[in-house]
Amino acid sequence: MGSLDIRARKASEKESRMRARSALGRRRRWNMNKPLLVMFLPIVVFFILFKYVPMFGFVIAFKDYNFADGIFGSPWVGFDNYKYLFQNPDTLGIIRNTLMLSALTVFVGFPFPVILAILLNEVRRSWFKRWAQTLLYLPHFLNWVIVGGLVLMMFSIETGFVNNLLERLTGSAYPFLFKEGSWITIFVASGIWKGAGWSAIIYLAALTSIDPSLYEAAGMDGAGKWKQIRHITLPGLMPTVILMFILGIGNVMDVGFDQVYVLQNPVVINVAEVISTWNFKVGLGSGQFSYATAMGLFESLIGLTLVLIVNGIARRSGRGLW
Amino acid sequence: MKPTNGEKVFYGVNYFILALAALSCLLPIIHIVALSLSGNEAITLGKVGLWPVDFTWTAYSKLIEDTNIGGAFQNSLIITLVGTALNMVFTILAAYPLSRKHFYARRFMTLAIVFTMLFTAGLIPNYLLAKSLGLVGNYGALWLPGLVSVYNLLVLKSFFENIPEELEDAARIDGSGEWRIILQIVLPLSVPVIATIALFYGVAHWNSFFNVLIYINDPERFNLSVLVQNMIQSQSLMSELAMLDPDAFRKLTPESIRSAGIIVMILPMLVVYPFLQKYFVKGMLIGSVKG
Repeated sequence: MGSLDIRARKASEKESRMRARSALGRRRRWNMNKPLLVMFLPIVVFFILFKYVPMFGFVIAFKDYNFADGIFGSPWVGFDNYKYLFQNPDTLGIIRNTLMLSALTVFVGFPFPVILAILLNEVRRSWFKRWAQTLLYLPHFLNWVIVGGLVLMMFSIETGFVNNLLERLTGSAYPFLFKEGSWITIFVASGIWKGAGWSAIIYLAALTSIDPSLYEAAGMDGAGKWKQIRHITLPGLMPTVILMFILGIGNVMDVGFDQVYVLQNPVVINVAEVISTWNFKVGLGSGQFSYATAMGLFESLIGLTLVLIVNGIARRSGRGLW
Repeated sequence: MKPTNGEKVFYGVNYFILALAALSCLLPIIHIVALSLSGNEAITLGKVGLWPVDFTWTAYSKLIEDTNIGGAFQNSLIITLVGTALNMVFTILAAYPLSRKHFYARRFMTLAIVFTMLFTAGLIPNYLLAKSLGLVGNYGALWLPGLVSVYNLLVLKSFFENIPEELEDAARIDGSGEWRIILQIVLPLSVPVIATIALFYGVAHWNSFFNVLIYINDPERFNLSVLVQNMIQSQSLMSELAMLDPDAFRKLTPESIRSAGIIVMILPMLVVYPFLQKYFVKGMLIGSVKG
């Protein structure tokens, strides 16, 4: 059915192209386009004004911006802002933190949705599956202010649930949020708690395309559940897993502002300051627009490069995004 | 077929792990509800688990009397409703032409739009633009820069592309213009996907934090996210409350007020979420197959 569909569409495209070539067809096409152009005009204005015009603002990455002279009047400084950013141990540390936190999120986080999907796929009682899915998807809809609030309250030293329990068991509390190691662990774990269930949806969809007769045949041949998962489910999921993993790496520069901002505190700032929070503080907080913009341009360029590389790799295996 | 012993063990372990994971998503929220309804002493002594101890509504009444939570709730509502309405109008206006094969420059426009997803101007240039347009300080800064989400646009475009062309051709022969075709044929056929996209926009607006943080300066105009974040982070609000009403405050801990704030913010979401879950899942699937 699919190929017929495509063939029919191709034929109609060819036909419309031929029609477009004749003068009459051109006039007809123009008439059909007029209302479309009218409705699309505001969209063009929107994308130019709010997405492309700000890109010119990147020139202040190479200027010493001051409010009086504005974007175009401020004096050029060449790559001085970058010299500062890449020679200063503080800003280098911030770039390192960004890469570290997002790499941990990708590498530690990616197996969880896969496991959840496999487990959910093996559930036979539909009421249980429905309930489990409803609860597992829920955290995705709470924003980071809420999740951060939950985390801060659960791990607070005096009144937190975790430390109360710990105190009863071992007699002493532990400052989880104020030690670098445990802060990073909590950071990564809270990301998994919020996102793993929701990300499992993609894998659940991929699992429905595995031919059920494979399981029947394997069962006849005496393969147990564990063997079936290893030899049928996992290979069936592999293309999706690889694709999602590659996409995750493509976003490695992109540690969300909200998550870091709500969880960080001055004690662990050495590992908890990332590009987005630094931009916010240095740029909007202390008005050093040039440094923040230079950092922003660096971040955007690395992000774009990574996505292009990653898509190139994915395309070679026939699963590119474009 | 009777399950073998090995299968019984497998299913047992499977249900156990899933139940544990699902409960881990629910229990923290129940704990917060319990904290918001518990007395001061019980909280400080760590006696509150999943059920309120020394039941009291004080945290909620203090929250309503002494903080601007009512106003913030209203602000969140306005931001969400107006924002989603604008998003929907403009996403439809963008998706329909891009889904028509005879539309001029269709490929170029799609590429130019997708590029804005891959390369963004970053915080400072966007802020300077909003400032020069006079958007800083009012909700325009929350609505306009995010008017069309490229992701939602692509979902809607691919849905429109799959509507059989014959329907429109028939309408065109009957003399309908494009606007009538959109209103009377395309939109009625797309109700489920439009509902899904509206929900995604709505949740994003209700949860918006960063944009409110950078663009809105007047505390009277904060939404729930920023207000609750301020309550969680700052001690100053708590001491202010203590000065206003020392007697009532003795019965409260910052924890119960914070918990109450969190509950007020997530309650609307918790109420509608179970009914709308299937739309969200559908939207996620359309997006991931095409995306």
